[in-house]
Amino acid sequence: MRQTDTIAEVKGAVKSFAAPEGGKVRALDGISLEILHGQFVTLLGPSGCGKTTLLRTISGFEELDAGEVRIAGVKMTNVPPHRRPVNTVFQNYALFPHLSVDDNVGYGLDVSGVARNERDRRVNEALDRVGLSGFGLRKPDQLSGGQRQRVALARAIINRPKLLLLDEPLSALDRNLRQTMQLELKSLQNDLGICFLFVTHDQEEALTMSDLVVILNKGQIEQTGTPEELYHQPATPFVAEFVGDGSLFTGRIENTSDRPVLKTNDGLCLPLGRDARVGETATLLLRPEHLRLAPDQNDESLGILEATLEQSVFHGAIRNYICRLSNGALLTVALDASDTAYKRITTGDQLRLAYPRNLPYLIKQSGNGT
Amino acid sequence: MKRSWFRHLLSLHGILFLIFVYAPITVVVVYSFNSHPVNMMIWKEFTFDWYWSIFGFPTELNEQTLYVESTDQLLASVKNSFIVAFSTTTFATVVGTSTALALYRYQFRMQSFYRGLLYMPMVMPDIVLGIALLVFFVTFGIKLGLMSIIVGHCTFLVSYVFIVVTARLAGMDQSLEQASADLGATPWTTFRRITLPQIMPGVIGGALLAFIISMDDLVITYFIAGVDSTTLPVFIYGMLRRGVKPEINAIATLMLVFSFVIASLGLYLRSRK
Repeated sequence: MRQTDTIAEVKGAVKSFAAPEGGKVRALDGISLEILHGQFVTLLGPSGCGKTTLLRTISGFEELDAGEVRIAGVKMTNVPPHRRPVNTVFQNYALFPHLSVDDNVGYGLDVSGVARNERDRRVNEALDRVGLSGFGLRKPDQLSGGQRQRVALARAIINRPKLLLLDEPLSALDRNLRQTMQLELKSLQNDLGICFLFVTHDQEEALTMSDLVVILNKGQIEQTGTPEELYHQPATPFVAEFVGDGSLFTGRIENTSDRPVLKTNDGLCLPLGRDARVGETATLLLRPEHLRLAPDQNDESLGILEATLEQSVFHGAIRNYICRLSNGALLTVALDASDTAYKRITTGDQLRLAYPRNLPYLIKQSGNGT
Repeated sequence: MKRSWFRHLLSLHGILFLIFVYAPITVVVVYSFNSHPVNMMIWKEFTFDWYWSIFGFPTELNEQTLYVESTDQLLASVKNSFIVAFSTTTFATVVGTSTALALYRYQFRMQSFYRGLLYMPMVMPDIVLGIALLVFFVTFGIKLGLMSIIVGHCTFLVSYVFIVVTARLAGMDQSLEQASADLGATPWTTFRRITLPQIMPGVIGGALLAFIISMDDLVITYFIAGVDSTTLPVFIYGMLRRGVKPEINAIATLMLVFSFVIASLGLYLRSRK
């Protein structure tokens, strides 16, 4: 298959649920999405954004109110889950407790009547791939969390699905194991060449593994892009806030002594680059790594902010300085922890912070985000 | 110490409770081996004769005291009880389990009302149910016999199985069935290979409960049993009306052993998983 082949396609998906307090909640509000061959796509969003619902409409556990799902070009409307060429890794793994690891992994082959020899060979191959050779006779409750995760994975890939759906599969694991599994998942996906559609609310997870990240909010797509695009060129304030750390400042662009600045309602004045368009309402995103301590000499290319240090937090290679601005907002600055020059700074100090003036800013669109 | 004094009192309370529950049963079992033919509360000597006597074998006691007038009648009532219990258990287990699955899986209007209807027979007084069934059978001209007993038992034993299986289903992870479907299993395969093994302890538990209750039901059966369809509890009750005889201790002991065997079987099957 060519790289540009479309494996799965969602068009104008709409799905409503009855809300407990009456009325309807739109879990999916007109979502369109295309997954190409060999891609690792992540659906990222806060809880309740519709990402799990979208996954379940693709696996067939929910039917759409409007719109359609196509997998490998075939329309999936009214096709029950057991006849769809996708497999799922469930959030709680959903391993069959009464079956051994072997039988769990081989389940997909057993129900489709694959011959015994072929079945055993493929089960061993799948267990081998996830590093669980020799665990075949154990029951799920005799495995650790990470091992169960691997069994769920082996079980889901054994049918060689066109698309593997993963519903927050790493959320139950501890941090170290989660990071290991992230890398393993990525390399497994490379080896198999299957499309992965991964659902998570953890932005770090999304950025680590994905070729493409789809950010969902309130049943709509906020932005689709590579991890780099989302981090460096967020399309909406919601994306800017959701991906990575940073502080947002919204205001009008005005000219002050012939240089454009962003004036916020609460009196902050943030210098902008030369190409800023005066008169627009805009949002500026300052990430911790954008900020430095201002040099003593004047530098035209820097914007300067006055702040008071509230707290400093050690993070290994970097130290985060949490500062309060004159309008009361907090701003995090990440500085090199090994640089002894910063040792003198103590809580309560007045700091002059600097950022490059030519940082891209967002034009606030109506109806979007915060 | 005040505390240890309190603990002793607690232990005493526990022991008294156990005596309260088990003393009567122990008395029945012990005196079933007592050879005194007239007053069974006076211990004479150890004998198995009552056990022989209820099955119609000749014993030393036979000449003076032949209490079970007809061993054939007793054995017939035991046979009836087994026919009723097996038929009822089979029907109640299938229907109760299916009902539990339906109410678990589907959402429909008035669901809690139907659930309530299924709980009702458990709280309904036996005597009311017995009379109701009798009136019903008589009104519709249905002949009282084994069939009417089986139908009567099913009306309330379906509820017992339903409740036990529902409890088991509530503990089942719903995503298991989804995982099975996701891997390509048809709904029937999913039921056979995933759902049924998962709820099996509940199904077996419900079936054994239904079996035991059907075996020893007296009140309802008393109303709807025909002349030729006496079950064991009804037969024993008939015997008692002519005075408490030593054989009754022996029959009671045998029933007790039988119940223990069934209950142990249930526990064993459940633990084996």
